[in-house]
Amino acid sequence: MTTQYSILFKQEHAHDDAIWTSAWGQNEKDRTETIITGSLDDTVKVWKWSEEKLELQWTLENHQLGVVSVDISHNGALAASSSLDANIRLWDLESGKQIKSMDAGPVDAWTVAFSPDSRYIATGSHLGKVNIFGVETGKKEHSLDTRGKFILSIAYSPDGKYLASGAIDGIINIFDIATGKLLHTLEGHAMPIRSLTFSPDSQLLVTASDDGYIKIYDVQHANLAGTLSGHGSWVLNVAFSPDHTHFVSSSSDKSVKVWDASSRTCVNTFFDHQDQVWSVKYNVDGSKIVSAGDDRAIHIYDCPM
Amino acid sequence: MASFGWKRKAGEKVSKATVQLFQAEAEPEAEAEGARHGAGHEEGDHDVDWVHAIKRRRGVLQEDCAAKSKRLKDEGALLAEEGRQWEAVKRWDEAIQLTPEDAALYEMKAQVLTSLQEVFQAVQAAERAVKLRPPWWEAWQTLGRAQLSLGEVDLAVRSFQVAIHLCPAERPLWEEDLSWAQKLQSQSRAAHEKAREEEEVKQQLLHAPELVPDYDFESNEVVAACTAIAERQKHYDSLRKDAVLIDSSGALVPINHQDSEALPQGQFVKARLADISGI
Repeated sequence: MTTQYSILFKQEHAHDDAIWTSAWGQNEKDRTETIITGSLDDTVKVWKWSEEKLELQWTLENHQLGVVSVDISHNGALAASSSLDANIRLWDLESGKQIKSMDAGPVDAWTVAFSPDSRYIATGSHLGKVNIFGVETGKKEHSLDTRGKFILSIAYSPDGKYLASGAIDGIINIFDIATGKLLHTLEGHAMPIRSLTFSPDSQLLVTASDDGYIKIYDVQHANLAGTLSGHGSWVLNVAFSPDHTHFVSSSSDKSVKVWDASSRTCVNTFFDHQDQVWSVKYNVDGSKIVSAGDDRAIHIYDCPM
Repeated sequence: MASFGWKRKAGEKVSKATVQLFQAEAEPEAEAEGARHGAGHEEGDHDVDWVHAIKRRRGVLQEDCAAKSKRLKDEGALLAEEGRQWEAVKRWDEAIQLTPEDAALYEMKAQVLTSLQEVFQAVQAAERAVKLRPPWWEAWQTLGRAQLSLGEVDLAVRSFQVAIHLCPAERPLWEEDLSWAQKLQSQSRAAHEKAREEEEVKQQLLHAPELVPDYDFESNEVVAACTAIAERQKHYDSLRKDAVLIDSSGALVPINHQDSEALPQGQFVKARLADISGI
């Protein structure tokens, strides 16, 4: 257990081109930790995190174009990836084999997110529809309509009640999953929302935008609870820590910032990347952070608990 | 006094841009001088605020450069719209002298150079634009188009992907730029595959196993060997015929590209001055 933030590990040249996305999961059975990364080099890489270093397990090469988004199921057994080639692929993390390929149609696969029960994968589309695919069936099963613009970001609330989407024009939509009804439409930002995340208790929604701001919303009342500034450019990704105390953001300004969730102040800034940082995630217990970006490097940081 | 100016001495060897820069420098100097005189009368000549005067002068100079560069940029855009592309490039080069960090100037220059088929210069200008302003998707689109004209299909596919990743809502990036570049990519891969195959057959032709010296051959063996060689020659010729066709279409890539897009030149050169948002 450390008492201060520090960089723990660097994997330089992890991919042949910019890394656009990452996810950190833990296998329910054997407790092993897996990090996956998706890149402009068309590949998804599966890394094992053990003894404080990364070990490459699989390089998944089926995508024909850059990989935009990846996610790991909550039991740690499956991974999903979406690419500019319009396919969403499902992978078995243990064998490194592709289980399914779902043709989402051109322009219709962007951020992918597993539902909390891992039975569904949600992705946004250019017409403002959120398409929900069944993991078992590999088919589109539901569709939620925001009647808005291109959806860049998607998040399920951990309690499985809500689904939030962030659009390219800065509009946030929150759906009730059980009824499929649109609960709130928030004019959150004036610019694209590239990432959003719920707090572990599903009460707060944090959004990141090209306008350089991070906003915090009270989900139930749809009230703006805070606006945070600090990044000098686009905020590209946000993630909440599982213990609810902090969240982390990454930016085009090459930095990774850790924020205190209650005081809403920046408690640490990592300036270790050489280029824009597209992705940032916590591990399962919130003791580590992974970040990756245009400099093709993966960084792992230690967090005080 | 009028006959003894520095302007005349500057002569023709000094570029217009340098002269303008020098003039821009000289004007605020004169102004500052005037201001100092004014101040001198009030405060007395002894406490002239030199430090602030210099700082102020630098500020005025920068402002002046920016304004002048903006004017040249707009002039260039108008010229490009009228189809006077070389003149436009000249204006923007002058503007670049004044504000070398302005990504928009390089991006516009790259568009016009691409349409003038000055592809190498176009790629250089576009590369400068994306380096100065990496999150600007339009600069990546322009870079991809310039690379395509240069025949660098793989690089173009990459640039278009970066552009889409920055702004996926821009449908033409998917439907025109990326899909077209991918089509060319698969064509050029097919052409390479063909060329490789052709080379292989040619090698076989030159090192025909049937021609290996064999001192006790019989006449029917010679006939069989000749038939085999003739067969292969025919195969090689047919391959070559195809390959040449694909080669020439590959070489004509940039021309095809513009034909198929069928964009009028003026439309291709979009003025991307106003909407540089973000950063």
